[in-house]
Amino acid sequence: MKPDLRVDLAGVEFANPIMTASGCCGYGEELAEIFPLSKLGALVTKSITAEPRLGHPPPRTAETASGMLNAIGLANVGINRFLTEKVPFLKKQKTRVIVNVAGSSEQEYIDICSRLNDVPELDMIELNISCPNVDEGGMQFGASAQLTEKVVKAVKKVYHRPLIAKLSPNVTSVVEIAKAAEQGGAEVLSLINSLVGTTIDIHTWQPRLTNNKGGLTGPCVKPVALAMIDAVYSNCSLPIIGIGGCSTWEDMVEFLLVGASAVQVGTALFVQPEAPVKIIEGLTRYMKSKKLQTLSDLVGKVRKY
Amino acid sequence: MTKPACETALLTKRRNLKNGYYSYTFGPFRAAGKCRPGHFLHIKLPCSDVFFRRAFSVASANPEKQELEVIFKIFGRGTRHMSQMRPGDPIDILGPLGNPFKLPRKTETAVMVAGGVGVPPLLYMAEQMVAKGYDPKRIRFFYGGRSKEDVIERTRIKRLGVHFHPITEDGSLGEKGLVTGPVATFIKDNPGCKPRLFACGPEGMLKATNDLGLRLKVAGQVSLEAPMPCGFGVCLGCIVTLTSGGHARVCREGPVFEIGEVAL
Repeated sequence: MKPDLRVDLAGVEFANPIMTASGCCGYGEELAEIFPLSKLGALVTKSITAEPRLGHPPPRTAETASGMLNAIGLANVGINRFLTEKVPFLKKQKTRVIVNVAGSSEQEYIDICSRLNDVPELDMIELNISCPNVDEGGMQFGASAQLTEKVVKAVKKVYHRPLIAKLSPNVTSVVEIAKAAEQGGAEVLSLINSLVGTTIDIHTWQPRLTNNKGGLTGPCVKPVALAMIDAVYSNCSLPIIGIGGCSTWEDMVEFLLVGASAVQVGTALFVQPEAPVKIIEGLTRYMKSKKLQTLSDLVGKVRKY
Repeated sequence: MTKPACETALLTKRRNLKNGYYSYTFGPFRAAGKCRPGHFLHIKLPCSDVFFRRAFSVASANPEKQELEVIFKIFGRGTRHMSQMRPGDPIDILGPLGNPFKLPRKTETAVMVAGGVGVPPLLYMAEQMVAKGYDPKRIRFFYGGRSKEDVIERTRIKRLGVHFHPITEDGSLGEKGLVTGPVATFIKDNPGCKPRLFACGPEGMLKATNDLGLRLKVAGQVSLEAPMPCGFGVCLGCIVTLTSGGHARVCREGPVFEIGEVAL
């Protein structure tokens, strides 16, 4: 019998637990040329801000061992053009759409999120309170439990569909921030955003990113992501979307076992754009071979020593 | 925009062009027939210490045999790994990607400006134009390199019957100097030839060609290169600044841009 890959997050049903990670497939148009987006559980858009942003000057990506650094700087079309130019395409896709929102003030989050209320096809918001690359990228919220709770609460007042809080690994205690997001009213948590890092050109002695530092992503961050998801799963009752270096179906199974209910695939898309499709196929085969009927047979089932 | 395919092909033919240059033919690749001059392929190398794919311009395509050729020079880790492949080895190809060159009118003179390992798309374009019945004498193939070892595939270019102008910095082949000097002289000396520029090569050469086109009011296209994590438009890593303001992605709006379009 075919395993049931459906997953329910805060009352919204997803066809499967694979999502694209924010910033890794724009607004979906390019990825749709590679495979039908209906194969995804959900598409998560690039971070949307109130005004359009060009981001940092190049170079703003750098290859690292088993991963990459990026300091794109929240380049995006802004909420107005997002609604007029990007949403019509997204509405036609037979997949769930999660809009990632970033802001530099509580008011910016409120303004953007309240406007997204009017488009029912946009199923959820993922609140980016953890971008490490721009001063105004929400990190000041995500680094503080108090401010996390405050901004989540403020958004919940104006936004009436489920809210995901995307958490940073660049904090002393991710569990503390997770609990604050829950207190504020977030229905789902997603983690981790990228880890702050840098790399230097030994010939010019300059960083390889004009921003001097960036966010580390890719397979190299997976062990950090798994440990943080495990910690949050053990201490917090909200469902978790795992993020951080998931590239293969084997990675996906690990994320599920430590407690992720769904997983976002990010950097892997750059190297293997069909990765989400291959992960779904592999996960299906794995569940069949292990005679697992539903994802709940896997989620959080790690057998610890 | 041509939809890219993602397929595993085999290395069917490996030619060592000497001095670190190689020509590789891959197949079968179903989208081979869609690959135009200026399109590029994003290739995943079969090794764990090269994380991103690497971009290579299409040097020729054979739709019947479903084969594609790329030409590269050993430059860094990626190309070094690539140089160690053997015929029969599999390789993961994403492509064709980007926008190709627009062929000139048959009444125009195509002025090709190639630099070093930037030659593949222009070689492919010249071959395709001749195959399509363009007069080879209306193709001026200016090809610059540091020395004669860097001016590769000379026999292949000459065989087309085009005007071939090799230029080397050390004077070991053809005129001594930079490629853009003789290009400017040609355009000034032949006012009635309806020139159109097509350039691919190092950044300095592209900037010089772009400036030349603007100064002499000659239209044309330049193919840019940039480090590309994804190659299909989603990572926003390979941006350039447009003269009209704003950004363009080299992989998506490019790699071929009109002269004057990009702030080089």
